[in-house]
Amino acid sequence: LRHKSFYLAFFAAHFFFVGVVSCRELFWFLPKSRTIFPQRFNSYWEEAEDLSSSVLLQNPGAPATLRESVTTYVHLAGIESGYGFFAPNVPGTCKLVFELHYPDGRTESRVPAVSSHASGLRVATLLDKIGRPQYDSLREVIIKMLASAVWREHSDATMIRAVFGVVMLPTAEEFEHGVRESNQFLYSYDFAFQPPGSKQPNP
Amino acid sequence: LRRIELWKQRLVGFLFSPESDNWLALLRFGLGLQVVLYCLSIRTDWTYLLAGNGGLISRNLSETILALQSPLIPRLGWIVALGGHFGLGEESVLSIVWYCLVAAGCFLLLGLFSRSAAIATWLLHLAALKSADLLSYGMDNLTTIGLFYLMLSPLPDRLSLDWQWRKSRPKHRDLLGFWRRVLQTHVCLIYFFSGIAKCFGLGWWNGTNLWRALSRPPFDLISAETLVRFKHFLPITGIAVWVLEIGYPFFIWHRTLRRPWLIAILLMHVGVGVTMGMYLFASIMIVLNLAAFGPGILWHQRQPADDGSAPAESLAPSPNN
Repeated sequence: LRHKSFYLAFFAAHFFFVGVVSCRELFWFLPKSRTIFPQRFNSYWEEAEDLSSSVLLQNPGAPATLRESVTTYVHLAGIESGYGFFAPNVPGTCKLVFELHYPDGRTESRVPAVSSHASGLRVATLLDKIGRPQYDSLREVIIKMLASAVWREHSDATMIRAVFGVVMLPTAEEFEHGVRESNQFLYSYDFAFQPPGSKQPNP
Repeated sequence: LRRIELWKQRLVGFLFSPESDNWLALLRFGLGLQVVLYCLSIRTDWTYLLAGNGGLISRNLSETILALQSPLIPRLGWIVALGGHFGLGEESVLSIVWYCLVAAGCFLLLGLFSRSAAIATWLLHLAALKSADLLSYGMDNLTTIGLFYLMLSPLPDRLSLDWQWRKSRPKHRDLLGFWRRVLQTHVCLIYFFSGIAKCFGLGWWNGTNLWRALSRPPFDLISAETLVRFKHFLPITGIAVWVLEIGYPFFIWHRTLRRPWLIAILLMHVGVGVTMGMYLFASIMIVLNLAAFGPGILWHQRQPADDGSAPAESLAPSPNN
């Protein structure tokens, strides 16, 4: 019986975490999306998200050891994120284009390149992630890394301008009337590089 | 109190029902194949995506963010540092990790040293996933979930080489039913929350989200010109998706509806794989579904004798017992 009680306790605790993590993600998405609920509910969703985070000991006041234990467990079990795939709404696709400037005045455009479709999905995931508000502080650092990766392939370029935006998709009706996808500009960053042989790259 | 006791007994009966190991064989084989396909799919970019320096984005960034959350979550940086003590460079260590992960996946496929292979696959896959957290998506977490349960389940199963060739037997066969229930419950929760989240989005009622999902790069395998011809089907298909998902945890236990419901969900994932190019996402969902509910719903399964030497005549309990 003790053996069964142990597994019962594991079952209860494990699915408690799964449920709370899923709810927290849902409550995080709801105030930020167009949903079937009126906007006046947004404050409730935000409160519910705070509560879920507190239950998961993710608030700053929680004991560090307990917080790290819970965080470690949910990562080991693969349950640290919810299951809102393409929900509540499908966002626009983020796009990053590099404009490479050469000393002789030439310019050319490049996008972050990988060699397989599966890797391409991962790069698209990365771009979608850094388009979100919670990545504001990291966005420039990550784009700088991506620009450095492009510069290594084109090391005679002295400046790379990274243009980050969202591809705006037409609706099915708009598409029928000739509207096509358009790009909405969001951010632009300039990174200067030293030509090879002179100094280390200085992105 | 008697009522609580009764509920507890029913819960114990539900969680610890006798079970054959067909589902476990499916899970082991499916996850082994999934991990091998995952490795092959990013083989040419493996080092480029996971390098600390000189890659697409530095692995160190993901690992630093991870360390702030908890220093105990596995990451490739540990293995690279260990390799450094033996004079191995980062690129060599990353290549070794790739080969080890493929080998562990193949061992899982064959069912050879099943437990060790499951632990090694879970650990290496998790380390690679966490070190490239910024590049990971839902499929990776679903694979971790499957590997976590596989590692804890009573391995080996009857179809493994461990059982057939090495004559190895699991210590706690009585827990086969429990771990299958865990997997079933998790799959139900995945669909429930996924369906609820979609149901709340306006675009899943009028077909807008389905149109966007199918026409946004890099999922736009079907041209918009073709897609627009089916625009009148988009609202009903969008609603069908979240109805299928929300209904899953309820109807998968229903005696007459469970079979069509499971087949519909499997077809939905085949559709996602074919129309959006999310082959690995589709395959992991199919593996988890087949392992959780396939035996007993899609085909009958026989309850093996305790030593597995000969099958008994009785049918194993179905998932809705």
